[in-house]
Amino acid sequence: MRMEHDIKLKLSFNIALVSGIFCITVALLLLLNFMQMSKNKPLESKALTSLVKRLSQEPNSDELKQEIRNFDLLARKAYFNSQWQVKTGGYLLLFGAVVMAFALRTLIGLRSKIDEPLLKNDNELISRMMTQKWVIITGTLLIFLGLVASYASVDHLKKYSVDESVVNAKPSDDQDKIEVIQVGQPVIKADSSVKVEATSNVKPNKTINPEKVVTVLSSEKIVPVIGKTAFPGSKEIRANVPSFRGPFGNGVFYTKGTPVEWDATSGKNVIWKTPVPKKGYNSPVIWENKLFLSGADNTIREVYCFDRSSGKLLWKQQVDKIQGSPAAAPKVTEDTGFAASSLTTDGNHVFALFATGDIICFDMDGKRVWARNLGVPDNHYGHASSLIMWKDKIFVQYDTNKSRKLIALKASSGETTWETLRKGKISWASPILAEISGKYQVVLSTDPMVAGYDSESGKELWSVNCMMGEVGPSPGFGSGLIFAANEYARLVAIDPIKNAKVWESDEYMPEVASPVCANGLLFIATSYGVLACYDAKTGEKYWVKEDGTGFYSSPVIADNKLYTFNTAGKMKVFEVGKTEKILGEGDATEKITTTPAFKDGRMYLRTPKYIYCIGKK
Amino acid sequence: MDKWIKIALIFTLLIFSLEGFAQKQRFPKPEFGTGYSQPTPVTPEPRALALEYTDVIVLLIVLSLSSWIAIKDRSRKKMLWLSVFTLLYFGFYRDGCICAIGSVQNVALTIFDPGYAISITTLLFFLLPLIFTLYFGRTFCAGACPLGAIQDLLIVKPLSLPEWLRKTLGILPYLYLALAVLFAATGTDFIICRYDPFVGIFRMDAAFHMVIIGIAFLLMGMFVARPYCRFLCPYGVLLNWMSKFSKWHLAITPAACIQCKLCSDSCPFDAIDYPTDEKQVKQRIWGVNRFLVYAVLIPLWIIIGGYAGSKAHVWISKANPKVYLAELLISKPEVRLDEKNLDVQAFLSSGKSMEMLVDEASVIRRKFYFGGWIAGGFMGLVIGMTLLNQIIFRTKKDYQPNKGNCYSCVRCVTYCPVKN
Repeated sequence: MRMEHDIKLKLSFNIALVSGIFCITVALLLLLNFMQMSKNKPLESKALTSLVKRLSQEPNSDELKQEIRNFDLLARKAYFNSQWQVKTGGYLLLFGAVVMAFALRTLIGLRSKIDEPLLKNDNELISRMMTQKWVIITGTLLIFLGLVASYASVDHLKKYSVDESVVNAKPSDDQDKIEVIQVGQPVIKADSSVKVEATSNVKPNKTINPEKVVTVLSSEKIVPVIGKTAFPGSKEIRANVPSFRGPFGNGVFYTKGTPVEWDATSGKNVIWKTPVPKKGYNSPVIWENKLFLSGADNTIREVYCFDRSSGKLLWKQQVDKIQGSPAAAPKVTEDTGFAASSLTTDGNHVFALFATGDIICFDMDGKRVWARNLGVPDNHYGHASSLIMWKDKIFVQYDTNKSRKLIALKASSGETTWETLRKGKISWASPILAEISGKYQVVLSTDPMVAGYDSESGKELWSVNCMMGEVGPSPGFGSGLIFAANEYARLVAIDPIKNAKVWESDEYMPEVASPVCANGLLFIATSYGVLACYDAKTGEKYWVKEDGTGFYSSPVIADNKLYTFNTAGKMKVFEVGKTEKILGEGDATEKITTTPAFKDGRMYLRTPKYIYCIGKK
Repeated sequence: MDKWIKIALIFTLLIFSLEGFAQKQRFPKPEFGTGYSQPTPVTPEPRALALEYTDVIVLLIVLSLSSWIAIKDRSRKKMLWLSVFTLLYFGFYRDGCICAIGSVQNVALTIFDPGYAISITTLLFFLLPLIFTLYFGRTFCAGACPLGAIQDLLIVKPLSLPEWLRKTLGILPYLYLALAVLFAATGTDFIICRYDPFVGIFRMDAAFHMVIIGIAFLLMGMFVARPYCRFLCPYGVLLNWMSKFSKWHLAITPAACIQCKLCSDSCPFDAIDYPTDEKQVKQRIWGVNRFLVYAVLIPLWIIIGGYAGSKAHVWISKANPKVYLAELLISKPEVRLDEKNLDVQAFLSSGKSMEMLVDEASVIRRKFYFGGWIAGGFMGLVIGMTLLNQIIFRTKKDYQPNKGNCYSCVRCVTYCPVKN
């Protein structure tokens, strides 16, 4: 028995010793590996970096590429080999440590003797005195450390805020430059706190410095900006113009008392007009009292916010310093430009997209919230598809010659929520939202199909092959049907639930202007100047009006009236009915390619140089 | 021989459990274009809900067993094997997560951040050990905590620490708890998880310094038993409070204590209270006066502690990534050009304005200011109460476990000659 005890003692001692030496050896090797990896980082190989640099100078050198690949492979091998060593070493060390611990426990257990029990703290009073002393020292030390930390650290944030307050104290340049010019009407102050100077009898077509704002203030009550809700519901959307072609992009505006006559030259029914600093083919979007546009050239991209009541430029923000934004602007055609995409807003933020692929979000006061570049689009005309949003997502039909995508971005951060790769060819149409079976779908028109996508997941829900060519007109929605058309293709009515064509026609087809449907009637405006009215459900043609001048501006319906603008800037207002009846006419005296927006009985129209507010006087 | 077979079986299980959960290797993408389209990163699916509920059930079973062993069965051997199971399941198999200790932060975050909702499993992991402790003492520490188990199994030659050192170091868990709650409540970090010394060992994947700290704790634990549990564990603070009011607690002797003193050295955690020496109590030079002074000083400790905490808020808040980034960009604007600084580049590519970042950082710093007052005041209260407790003498006639500090490991029971 005694012998067995000794053997056990010796055995456990030897195991503890061997495992201890083993652990120390493995630990040293791991340390060596760590030091070696810290010193010679394979991921930051200078040779590899210089070779990659050389490649940028000689991009077509296959020999160089092969050399880089060889180096890269070596670096990877070194890295993964080291990782393997660390992992294996870790397991070995753990194993060794466990063995050693068990051996030590056994050894100590075998050696242990039964000690005579003793009271540990023979003087509790002294012990308690010591405790009090050390607790006071510790407490004092903690307080001292807290105070030292406060004096040793600098609050850079506060410093930044102080600098900012100095900057903010200065009046803004925009405020200084505001000049108000009357257009045939007396000036009424919209905001008594802002003193504005009026100069009278200036003709509206006078050339004005674009930096200055030409405006006639109206007495219209300023509607407060909607509260900070998570996202607006359909009721709020219908009360505003959150996207291209109005609520849900359907071309139907829910307002009453819109004017049927106006004239830019005489100023008839012109409430105000304001120059837009930079060019853009995007149409106005409106939320409550704020109207948004964007403008750009090949160097500068800007977003503008106008006071809807007065036309005053409330803020102008540059779209710059975005990672991934191209240093040189991509090539675009003159009639597309860099700011063809209309903006979208949810009443809390406004979002703008440019031909560079830059997408940006501002709050309603022009404070930048986020921005990103979606990748410079390879688009032979320039990106033109407008933005639209529903709930917390912004939908971007991001078609390029390389890929066709429908992207949903998170409105709060710009992060991609989902991305659906689509078949088909590049399109310049804009997405619309259609409520089908109680859920909103994003509907897109492209060659060769018109398709609906789940706004929550991006999943394609239905698709009908019926389009061809370079699709410009956006789809329309009404009477439960989707309408799509394109020149040299077809005019098609689609039942999205049955996933089938209901009717089609190849008589009158638009090139740019989108179809609009209301009261069971469908209207088409072609680029060769024909306005046609169909029965939405059957396709029966009710009337055709040959205007003579083509339409790029999409026909829209407001106050149960059909508004059309031809490219010469002439407006014709028709009754939404089965027979042709002109209700009024207007003249912008400029080329019109944008689509007007309507709110609270007023029409807002962007011309190449101005933004107009037209309403009954 | 039977013992060695069991040990070999544990090693085999240990190695297999580690192998199955090896982490994926990481390597940056090649930097030159090959026309290869990089696949979109996919977020791994969360652990299945059924498995999470399984974890809760396992915890419940282990806690029940641990409590039964401590209170009824009183078998050290069974408790040891239970802690081995806990180490393998909650430690190596479940990678040390989720654990009750870290769940303190989830609870804090869910209280202070309306946008964060704690999962039911996390909440149960937080509550179940506390409820069990309220009834049976710290049986969670004895058999259901993987962090406790790994330290407990490696105790070799525990040394007894003097009381003043234990009491002084015993302030650290309160400080750690205060900081952990502050950091979680401000959405800064889960420091308990980040600086968990053993999780790297459970996962075989951690930063080098954390592995070193973990090994250092284990080596230290060979001689200073359970150093993390005694002098750092923030959850232990809550367990200590609960255990003091526990309805049934482990007792060294099942019957009357015969004052044999055999158990006096049995506890490696110095958690056995000795009978009060009446002579010494009578000899004490302080009395009611000092008690009153310490009692009056408590509010002062709270105010001074709160003040120091609030003053330190600027420094502490630098731990918040957003505050750190904002300050870095203000103090060193040239960092914007540093392409290797991923945080800066990520911020620049987000397109957020500097004003927005500063605004957000200022809001966080403000939270730290109020949090600093609360955390500092709490620490002041802890200091004040610890001092006051040193004045109070509670009469104890037997050798008995300190209900707050005892881990119910059942070691002392083995030493007691009274078995029935």
